[in-house]
Amino acid sequence: MLSYAARRLVDLLVILLGVSVLVFLMIRLIPGDAVQILLGANTEVTPEQIAQMRHTLGLDQPLLTQYGGWLAGVLRGDLGKSVWTGAPISQEILARLPVTLELTVLPLLLASVLAVPLGLLTASWRNSGVERTIRFFTIAGITTPAFWLGTLFIYVAFVVAPDWATIGYVPFTTDPLGHVSRLVLPVIALALPLLAGLIRILRSSLLEVLGQDFIRTARSKGLSERRVLYRHALRNAMVPLLTVLGIQAGYLFGGAIVVEQVFAIPGFGRLIVGAINERNYALVQGAILVVTAGFVLINFVVDLLYAAVDPRVEYR
Amino acid sequence: MKTFLRAALVSSMLLVTASAQQVTRGGTLQLAVDQSPVGLDPHVATAFSTFVVTGQIYEGLLDIDPALKIRPLLASKYTRSDDGLTYTFTLRSGVKFHNGDPFTAADVVYSMNRVKDSKTASPLASRLASVTSVKASSPTQVTFTLSKPYAPFLSEVATIAIVDQKYVEGGGNLQRAAVGTGPFVLKQWIPDTALLLDKNPSYWAKGQPYLDGLKFNIVPDASTRQLGLQSGTYQFLPNIDASVAVTLKGARSVQLLRSQDLAYSLLGMNVTRKPFDDPRVREALNYAINRPEIVQGVYFGDAQPGGPIPPALKAYATPVNNFPCYSYNPAKARDLLRQAGYPNGVDFSILTFSTIKTVADTAQVLQAELAPAGFRAKIDIQEFGSFVQNWRNSNFDAFVSQNGGSIDPDGQLYRTVVSGGSTNVFKYKDPAVDALLEQGRSTTSNGSRVRTYAQLQKTLACRGPLAFLAYGALYSAARSEVRGFTPNPTRSLAALKTTWISKE
Repeated sequence: MLSYAARRLVDLLVILLGVSVLVFLMIRLIPGDAVQILLGANTEVTPEQIAQMRHTLGLDQPLLTQYGGWLAGVLRGDLGKSVWTGAPISQEILARLPVTLELTVLPLLLASVLAVPLGLLTASWRNSGVERTIRFFTIAGITTPAFWLGTLFIYVAFVVAPDWATIGYVPFTTDPLGHVSRLVLPVIALALPLLAGLIRILRSSLLEVLGQDFIRTARSKGLSERRVLYRHALRNAMVPLLTVLGIQAGYLFGGAIVVEQVFAIPGFGRLIVGAINERNYALVQGAILVVTAGFVLINFVVDLLYAAVDPRVEYR
Repeated sequence: MKTFLRAALVSSMLLVTASAQQVTRGGTLQLAVDQSPVGLDPHVATAFSTFVVTGQIYEGLLDIDPALKIRPLLASKYTRSDDGLTYTFTLRSGVKFHNGDPFTAADVVYSMNRVKDSKTASPLASRLASVTSVKASSPTQVTFTLSKPYAPFLSEVATIAIVDQKYVEGGGNLQRAAVGTGPFVLKQWIPDTALLLDKNPSYWAKGQPYLDGLKFNIVPDASTRQLGLQSGTYQFLPNIDASVAVTLKGARSVQLLRSQDLAYSLLGMNVTRKPFDDPRVREALNYAINRPEIVQGVYFGDAQPGGPIPPALKAYATPVNNFPCYSYNPAKARDLLRQAGYPNGVDFSILTFSTIKTVADTAQVLQAELAPAGFRAKIDIQEFGSFVQNWRNSNFDAFVSQNGGSIDPDGQLYRTVVSGGSTNVFKYKDPAVDALLEQGRSTTSNGSRVRTYAQLQKTLACRGPLAFLAYGALYSAARSEVRGFTPNPTRSLAALKTTWISKE
């Protein structure tokens, strides 16, 4: 188990290094650099001035020099500085982390807490009215994108309760109530499609497990249906659920960009898209590095959890 | 010798005192803007997202009012020598920077030299290209010396922000912290979330600003901004798109503040590529464009077809019916194409981008309009960065875009069409046009300038490298309780210092 963890950590470093090279090259391969983007299509600048600006920003250096300098900084724990404001990248990323963690953890928690009972319900009450109702909503939930739900929520909130409706973001420390009230809608918008997906997966995986021999054995031992469902079936049906949760957690951590746009929430998604649009190279690199690390770590944790829920899983 | 019209000054002061009796003071105005500033240094970051904020914090020597007149700001008056080579500005006294440093002539000299210095890499440097020296002749007087008479000098130098020499030389980072003389002080900048500005309690214009503060909320989604305004979460949306203005028209508790816009939409042609290397093809293209249809289809009727000089510059702009090619005539267009050797029409591609809705819409309307005359256009919509690169490298047959206008015809045309001009991406070269452009900037007699630019417009309108399309109306949307804001065709939000929130 320990040696497995160590091996996975080495993998993580290799992945991060690979991703850093890819990101470094990709952002520079997109046409238009920081200077051109900043100046836009309508300026008074001469080509000499553009060259001077590029020089000031170090963009005229060979790619290898730029990458080497950046990597050396990262190894010292310095992610570099924002092209235009000169603010340390680490500061900008740290400012986003709490926002992004909330937008990752809260929808996941909400969705998983609701998914288990609803999934059990659909699996045990097959072909009933309850099951059909839940199925209708899960299909609607899966096919409805979160950003559309978000826009709908905002619209409804503004029409129904304009005094109550708030958008944007305030840190918990400055205004706890305002903080929570602003997060309710985006968290629900992110959780609903996720919940729908989880219910479907849990249902099918439960149905599969319920048809297996050990369930029949458990029942023939005279265990109550409840015990069969909770102790035997659910645990075994959790593995696919965890996989999906892991992937979704990574996706949310990378930034649920459209939901962030709609609700004006400064999470990682907006940070990265904004940085790409501005060709703020160091910021793109730093932010994607952190997201990648987060993604890989989540998957690592999910792998460890497999063993916890399913004793048949072994690590070598 | 020329000084500001005293009468105008007095009357504007009377206006201020008159309205001062009814204004309600206090409150923070909630604005919603789409983008975070890219930095706050007014000499380096000149993007619009920066300008709306820094325009509240910094001031220039002069200001441009909503009627596009140049007005005193940090300079109380100026004089020009008879040869047109020396300008002397007398500075307002008793002005302080936000950190308490007194504002002096040295700060003006420092600011101008900072813009000129290539190390600053300021996009504004070319505005001071004609200036050979800036000197403080006394603590309250600054003298600019020019290498040759330069008519647009005042409009070029007017709004260049004056920064605090002591603060910048002491290591202040203007990109992140701002110290100006303006009506509002930067209190907090939370990236991608909001910028908070507080009232400058020691602002030199007594009694201003009326508001306690401004909050620029960064809300990237257009429909969220719009709903937020309708619900009262936000009170002010500056400079909105024509399509947004249409949907807000008649909304309860919302007012639209309208002004003319200096910005215009255009179709640019690469004159080094076929078929646009032939002036007859460029003329044909102009005949093939139905400008009133663009005004209807893209601007919902609220725009003016316009030529090389914005209609807002009434003294200079030639009415469009004086340009024959501005009246829609596909038959004439086909005829000209035939004469140019394209009896079967031409194929070309239009480069454009989607971040400004009116631009993308214009490209599509144009594509449909041009077809009957034999111009078969393929639209190539690119991400903005990629568009800019191709645009700057003249890597296009034609492009559709929006240009910000200028309050001086020189600023409007010079760098765009002069041979080798910094934004002459069309690669247009015409010695006659170059001569007129030089004449327009070096003569300081108004009458002869008007004649020069009339001739220039005639030359450029039909056979030039740009098909000028339309000058839109400029709207800001505000809650009905917001008072005292006058929109400015330059898109400046300077009027926020006299804006107030009615409690009724």
